[in-house]
Amino acid sequence: MTEIILMTLVVFFTRYLFLEPRLPMRLNRRLEALLQYSSFAVLPAIAAPIVLLEHGQVITSLTHPFLIPSILAILISWRTKNVVLSVGLSMTAMLFLS
Amino acid sequence: MKNRAYFIKGLLAVLPLSIAVIPWGILAGSYALQVGMTKIEAQAMSALVFAGSAQLVATGMIQAGAGLGSILATVFFISARHFLYSISFRERVSKLPFRWRFGLGFLLTDELFALCNHQHGKAFKRSYALGVGLGFYVVWNIASFIGIILGSTLPNMDEYGLEFAVAATFIAIVVPMILSLSQLVCVLIAASLSTLLTALKVDGALIIASFTAMLCAYIFESLGKRRETKQ
Repeated sequence: MTEIILMTLVVFFTRYLFLEPRLPMRLNRRLEALLQYSSFAVLPAIAAPIVLLEHGQVITSLTHPFLIPSILAILISWRTKNVVLSVGLSMTAMLFLS
Repeated sequence: MKNRAYFIKGLLAVLPLSIAVIPWGILAGSYALQVGMTKIEAQAMSALVFAGSAQLVATGMIQAGAGLGSILATVFFISARHFLYSISFRERVSKLPFRWRFGLGFLLTDELFALCNHQHGKAFKRSYALGVGLGFYVVWNIASFIGIILGSTLPNMDEYGLEFAVAATFIAIVVPMILSLSQLVCVLIAASLSTLLTALKVDGALIIASFTAMLCAYIFESLGKRRETKQ
């Protein structure tokens, strides 16, 4: 349980720190423009290694069970913008392929 | 619109993402059980830490027998992306009363950021953000609970490839948001660099890759603007 409490504190610290008004810090235009890219950087940076690595090594086979479902997820979400459809169909494809 | 209407609007807006996160939550709950946590601990992790990727990685490290220090350091690196989110929200949230800052801070996930970040100035409604955050929190915890129940009856839940749900969810959030070439540049650099650095076992691969990609996209955007003004 100690680990969980400490993890809670670490995660909350990263979420809360810059919401604290007493923290002396001003945003400038450049930093704001940079931060607009946060989602476009962080989410692919989490997702890509899950798909492209297996046991820490870059996959070499096109038949890796996550690769085709990921391409499917990209195509469906690009064409339909529907999160549930995209996750649902690509998960189903993954379960069938693995 | 009244605050309650904004709250409900937020709940509805996050519904698709909440449904999409269910397999991930199931994995988080069952995996925690599998590495030897009690049911209470497994549920407490989802209720208190409330961070899908940090929970999965920490659980994996507990299974591998890692020390507390290295688990916390890794959680910090994975969670460091929230600094970017909270800096973005600073102007809108830091002026709110403490209970709102605390609540929205606790609920600040990738999903909340993705749904609320484009709302600037008056368009940002705290009740809407609360609806998004709480709706997502409740579903995450129910999914974890289902995972805990399933995990105690079906062992080896981690062998079904449920971690693919993490990638599928993020793909489904990001792809429709891409509207400009510089955003596409950001996505491609972040994805390839993070894969490379993770394969090389670099500490903080996620935050290094993310920040580099953001910087490249920003420079790319600035170069584009400079060329436009010259022409």
